[in-house]
Amino acid sequence: MIRVGVVGYGTMGQVHSQAYQEINDVELVVVADPDPEQRAQAQRDFGVDVVSNIEELLQSSQVDLVDICVPTYLHETILTQAVESKKHIFLEKPLARTLEEGERMLKLAEGYEQKIGVGHVVRFTPAYTGIRESLLQGEIGQAAVARTFRGGSQFPKGWHDWYADFDLSGGVILDLVIHDIDYLRWLFGDVERVYAKTTHGRTTAHLEWAMIVLRFKNGVIAHVEGSWTNYPGDFYTTVEIAGRDGLIKYDSRNVNPIITTTLGETGERAGVTVPENPAAKSPYLVEIEDMIGAIREDRDPLVTLEDALGTLRVALAAEESARLGQVITL
Amino acid sequence: MVKVGFLSLAHMHAYSYGHALNQLPNAELVGVFDPDQKRGQAGAQQMNTKFFSDPGELLKQVDGVIICSENSLHRHFTELAASYGVHVLCEKPIATTIEDGQAMIDVCEKADVKLQIAFPVRFNTPMMRVKEMLERGAIGEVLAIRGTNHGQMPGGWFVDPELSGGGAVMDHTVHVVDLIRWFLGKEFISVYAEADNMLYDVPIDDCGMLSLEMEGGIFVTQDPSWSRPATYPTWGNVTLEIIGTEGVIDVDAFAQNFVVYDDQNRKVSQKTFTEDMDLGLIKDFIEMIEEDREPSITGYDGLKAMEVALGAYESARLKKTVQL
Repeated sequence: MIRVGVVGYGTMGQVHSQAYQEINDVELVVVADPDPEQRAQAQRDFGVDVVSNIEELLQSSQVDLVDICVPTYLHETILTQAVESKKHIFLEKPLARTLEEGERMLKLAEGYEQKIGVGHVVRFTPAYTGIRESLLQGEIGQAAVARTFRGGSQFPKGWHDWYADFDLSGGVILDLVIHDIDYLRWLFGDVERVYAKTTHGRTTAHLEWAMIVLRFKNGVIAHVEGSWTNYPGDFYTTVEIAGRDGLIKYDSRNVNPIITTTLGETGERAGVTVPENPAAKSPYLVEIEDMIGAIREDRDPLVTLEDALGTLRVALAAEESARLGQVITL
Repeated sequence: MVKVGFLSLAHMHAYSYGHALNQLPNAELVGVFDPDQKRGQAGAQQMNTKFFSDPGELLKQVDGVIICSENSLHRHFTELAASYGVHVLCEKPIATTIEDGQAMIDVCEKADVKLQIAFPVRFNTPMMRVKEMLERGAIGEVLAIRGTNHGQMPGGWFVDPELSGGGAVMDHTVHVVDLIRWFLGKEFISVYAEADNMLYDVPIDDCGMLSLEMEGGIFVTQDPSWSRPATYPTWGNVTLEIIGTEGVIDVDAFAQNFVVYDDQNRKVSQKTFTEDMDLGLIKDFIEMIEEDREPSITGYDGLKAMEVALGAYESARLKKTVQL
């Protein structure tokens, strides 16, 4: 039995907590959150113990795996405490807010006897793993130009609107576009140089659009785009990879096998159309199964802290490029 | 009746322009000159017109010419047309160097003939509609634009640096750059670009990525890659995602299509039903001559678009941002 404590019961904490319910011999035993409403929610959802004090959770001998779902700027502090308590650790992405934090975290992880995994969930998302398979099978030959998009949805809701504070969240590049940066690194390896533009500082905090050009050491040129918006819109993602022998194209808007249109609650006009892309397992469940597998089989999780640091380095280089208006060579 | 001829059919757009000319009641396609006699004769026949082995003979009989030569010969043919007092519609890009482009503008001005550059996407119905939306502020103030102009690898003289002046970046940057200048009435001020040869065994860039800054802090990215494989159901695309303070517009110039699955030729193809933008372009050129008005797309527009492509090559070479 692996006993789990989730730290932070916001959006991701709730998603992870649900995933633990679906794995055999794994039990969510405690949730920590400073907000009494979130604690009450956790109790209602899963009937688990709740604590307001994170130290209490970390020091509990009842917990084997600490799942950290707190805002980015708190990652280093909580991870450090969890390391002191000798727990296995699963940490939501991005690794950290700054490179210094990330590097200190890597030091802590060196020689650490328990497992540390980072939640870059795109590596567990079926379309994305399928595309990687096609690429590795050589179906489009040597890759040359890649394009990704992630966004279109309204600005994320967080504790005290922390996403809107660039110093805390790092904005759309660090929080959202980092998914695709990580994915592309998984496909193409290390990045040679980065050039990026973002609307950060040119508009309100609740609208940010970023476009990044990456040049990988293997030659691949990538256009990586993401957005948070202050106008209505549905979240979607796209991937396109052109190779010497073909092209892969994916658009999440085109893969909904079910589209339901119903009357609204009032019976007319306010009707809704809901696209659905059902799957037996959510990517979050697959990601957490990998983490549990790493603990049980005594192996590395798919995304190690070192991987996540490599990705963080590129995301922060993109932000630096956008700030300076210059290309950043890594 | 406006009399028109072709100087060279090297660029395949000539056939579509010829088709447009033949549809217009106020235009007459007088003939074709082409230094490649075989191509010229076949083309003339296809367009139901005469072949001229002497360009001077053709130029004496027309009010305007359409130049569809290799890019590096645009200047030569423009100067020739101007010397006969004939108005010019020149295929994009205007030329392969700033010097040639400027010389074309100057010679036409001196000879008092009009010089129009062929940016037909300005006559694409969805794009015209988007311009109207932007002008009435449908998405607030524009912050950024993501563009693509992907294509299949055209081969032929397009991959000969001497004749084309550049590959994918030269071929597929200017349309999007021109559209955005037209939409916003602003100039590009800097460019960062990656450009390389990675997709085909050709001696020229076949893929790239441009990141541009405009006046007023608007940024734009443009992907000009010849990244549509031979099996792709259409030649390529022109798409823009325009991000504003109050909304976003996604426009795909050729989304108006249906798909044909053809077992006989083992081919899947998209058939567009968008109004013919080439017809719009040619109609505008004929009307310009008829009405003796200024061109809707000037030599200067052509020069500014080419300047961005040339800046992109310089940036890719230097691996840093280039000011325009």
